[in-house]
Amino acid sequence: MLGYVIRRVFQSIVVLLIVGLVAFSMFRFVGDPIDNLLGQERTLEDIERLRTQLGLDEPFLVQYWNFLERAVQGDLGISYRQSRPVAEILLERAPATLELAAVSGLFAIVFGIILGIFTAIRRDGWASSVIMTVSLIGVSLPTFLIGILLIYVFAVELGWLPSFGRGEVVDLGGWTTGFLTASGLKALILPAITLGLYQMTLIMRLVRSEMLEVLRQDYIRFARARGLRDKAVNFRHALKNTLVPVITVTGLQLGSIIAFAIITETVFQWPGVGLLFINAIQFVDIPVMAAYLMLISVLFVGINLVVDLLYFAIDPRLRDERSAAGGN
Amino acid sequence: MLRRLTASAVAICAALPVMAEDFRWASTTDPQTMDPHAVNSAPVLGFLNNVYEGLVRRGRDMAVEPALATGWEAIGNGEGWRFTLRQGVKFHDGADFTAEDVLFSYERASSEEADTRSWFAPVSGVTVVDDFTVDIMTSAPNPIFPDSIANWMIMDSGWAEANDATRPDKEQGNYATLNANGTGAFKVTAREPGLRTELQPHEGWWDTVDHNITRAEFTPIQNPATAVAALLSGDIDMINPVPIQDAERLSGQPGVQVIQGIEARVIMLGFAQEADTLKYGESDGAANPFQDPAVRRAVAQAVNVPAILQTTMRGNAEAASQLVSPAMRGYSEPNAATIAYDPDAARAALAEAGYPEGFGFGLKCPNDRYLNDEAVCQAVTSMLSQVGLRPQLETMPVRGYWPRLREDDFDMYLLGWSPGTFDAEHPVRFLASTPNEEKKLGSWNFGGYSNARVDELLPMIQSEIDETKRQAMLDEVAAILQGETAYVPLYVQPLLWGARDNISLTQRPDNFFILRWVTVN
Repeated sequence: MLGYVIRRVFQSIVVLLIVGLVAFSMFRFVGDPIDNLLGQERTLEDIERLRTQLGLDEPFLVQYWNFLERAVQGDLGISYRQSRPVAEILLERAPATLELAAVSGLFAIVFGIILGIFTAIRRDGWASSVIMTVSLIGVSLPTFLIGILLIYVFAVELGWLPSFGRGEVVDLGGWTTGFLTASGLKALILPAITLGLYQMTLIMRLVRSEMLEVLRQDYIRFARARGLRDKAVNFRHALKNTLVPVITVTGLQLGSIIAFAIITETVFQWPGVGLLFINAIQFVDIPVMAAYLMLISVLFVGINLVVDLLYFAIDPRLRDERSAAGGN
Repeated sequence: MLRRLTASAVAICAALPVMAEDFRWASTTDPQTMDPHAVNSAPVLGFLNNVYEGLVRRGRDMAVEPALATGWEAIGNGEGWRFTLRQGVKFHDGADFTAEDVLFSYERASSEEADTRSWFAPVSGVTVVDDFTVDIMTSAPNPIFPDSIANWMIMDSGWAEANDATRPDKEQGNYATLNANGTGAFKVTAREPGLRTELQPHEGWWDTVDHNITRAEFTPIQNPATAVAALLSGDIDMINPVPIQDAERLSGQPGVQVIQGIEARVIMLGFAQEADTLKYGESDGAANPFQDPAVRRAVAQAVNVPAILQTTMRGNAEAASQLVSPAMRGYSEPNAATIAYDPDAARAALAEAGYPEGFGFGLKCPNDRYLNDEAVCQAVTSMLSQVGLRPQLETMPVRGYWPRLREDDFDMYLLGWSPGTFDAEHPVRFLASTPNEEKKLGSWNFGGYSNARVDELLPMIQSEIDETKRQAMLDEVAAILQGETAYVPLYVQPLLWGARDNISLTQRPDNFFILRWVTVN
């Protein structure tokens, strides 16, 4: 067991290092931060001085090494744009993204499962056909378009919901939350739908097909033959057996909800880390870009690591292989 | 919730006409710092003009008027300027404004760490005569000095020292990066970088209050579609800019207005003039035709500026004849005629210059720097093709654009220039002077245009006190640049702001949004 864990952790670190390497080799192509940092009346001398000061004249491998050296000591550098420590900025922005991700995740799971069950049980009803068709549109329309459409309908035309931002937030000792104010909750609705729509459709279709599969099984037929009520058959027996793959997929999707919040956050001017990253690209704010990319890859690698370890716990074959290898 | 609050505020306002208002505005860029000496960029200086003040300031018509100085006069034969300071001015924290603060702000703004250092290149020293008199000496007579310091903002020396911010710190940031303490009409009451900045009126402000704002909030909104939606829904009272393609539709909507004007920025085409060969020629080492003024003039004749203005800019811009717009001081009236669109003459001129078949070259353009820059370059490309030229257009984000220009990686390029001093001397210094690193001249003259007479005239213009003589020299420079087609000025970029109907405001050509001119009706 321990050997397996150590091996997986080691592999994860290698993946992280490679992501960082690729990221740093790309930064040069994003552009040059110097022009954004100096005004119109800069001289070439100023440009060179600042470049040396920021260490941008070093080869990218050296820059990467310097970044790693400081990162392992907990120092993510200082943002070029805001002149503040990157770690501080990230901590400030993280609650917005995490709350948005949580709400859209919840939205996706709840509606995905309900609609999935509904379309499976009433597979031939007209309502199911409508839901299935609409869900197709949901998957095929790009996120920013859905966002803009929702803004125009619910903010501009109907005036029910705010068009951008997070509303009023309450500061709970370093964690700002929009859950405690009416405007904060209203502000969450449109971005959460925009971000969660794809995941909701995915879960809905997964639940539907699993459910249809399960409903064909013999034990469901026997249950019906025993005269159990539909409710008990559908929800106690069929649904439970459907949920295993759904939970796996949902877990893996959680990472992508956070990572792909970028577009939703840009459309709604949602003050999270995704918006921060977009700003950083425009400004070529290398310390922020590097920290964000590393953070997201830590997130993905972490989730995958946990999933692998869970498999290890669940699947006895993996353990057997290891002990067999150990036996040699 | 917020909407309902505003609605009730409007109702109260109707009952009590003196009652003032919440005002929310948005722009694409957040001012990256609250330190007025750390970054010399329009978003920062424009925003901080509401918070800090200089000795002089610009009025609604861009004319310089007294601010923290009540008056100024030249010393002797132009050895410097004596400024008489306003008495009884208070900083936001209650401290008194005195000559010491001016001296301190000079030292701070001209320090090695400051981005505003170049403004003080002509200054040889600053002396405090008494508490309310300051002499600023210049190394040569400098008639436009008071004009050139309208954005030099005065900081309280005591506040800066107490908060360990006596020098700007761009890399690490310091107290003044996030906090502000000026003498301006508004004080910063909350600052969350990149998210929102809240301002409230400065109770002890020295000037008459024209606005009726009780609280103002600035939010950067990057996505233009989001900003337009926020304005339409009433979540935001004013946005800058309105995307050109949305301007017409927006002005037709009830409840909103589009405010149009022209900016100080002139958009132009520049040429690689120093290079002997083309970078993107059709054969290796093809000679550079743009060294020939006749070819450059043919390019100017081939570009149909009125058509670009009508289609790409949708009638929102004005053609330019020289490197500055007519609103600038020192604009050359005798050279106000633009080069007429004449493709036949362009073809003939190219044939005469030895290019009857035209030639291929590289045109570089930014795609996110100026309004519709990429579309303008595409139009230019097709217009040049019509006279037989074969431009290869490459567009890129501005973050990669300036480095490419610095590496001389172009044959022709697009540039926009807004003179920081609002004077015609500014583009001569930066765009038309022979590049000279030591004298800090021609630092944006990427193509290396060089004319001995222009170089000779520039220092004379800079030190000429007599308005008429100075204008004559500026006219001469404009005539030379036009005669040699050093650049092809295309148009003056438009300003497009959007606001709710109940907002009245003043649009200044430098695109600065001045909050004290806003009234919420």
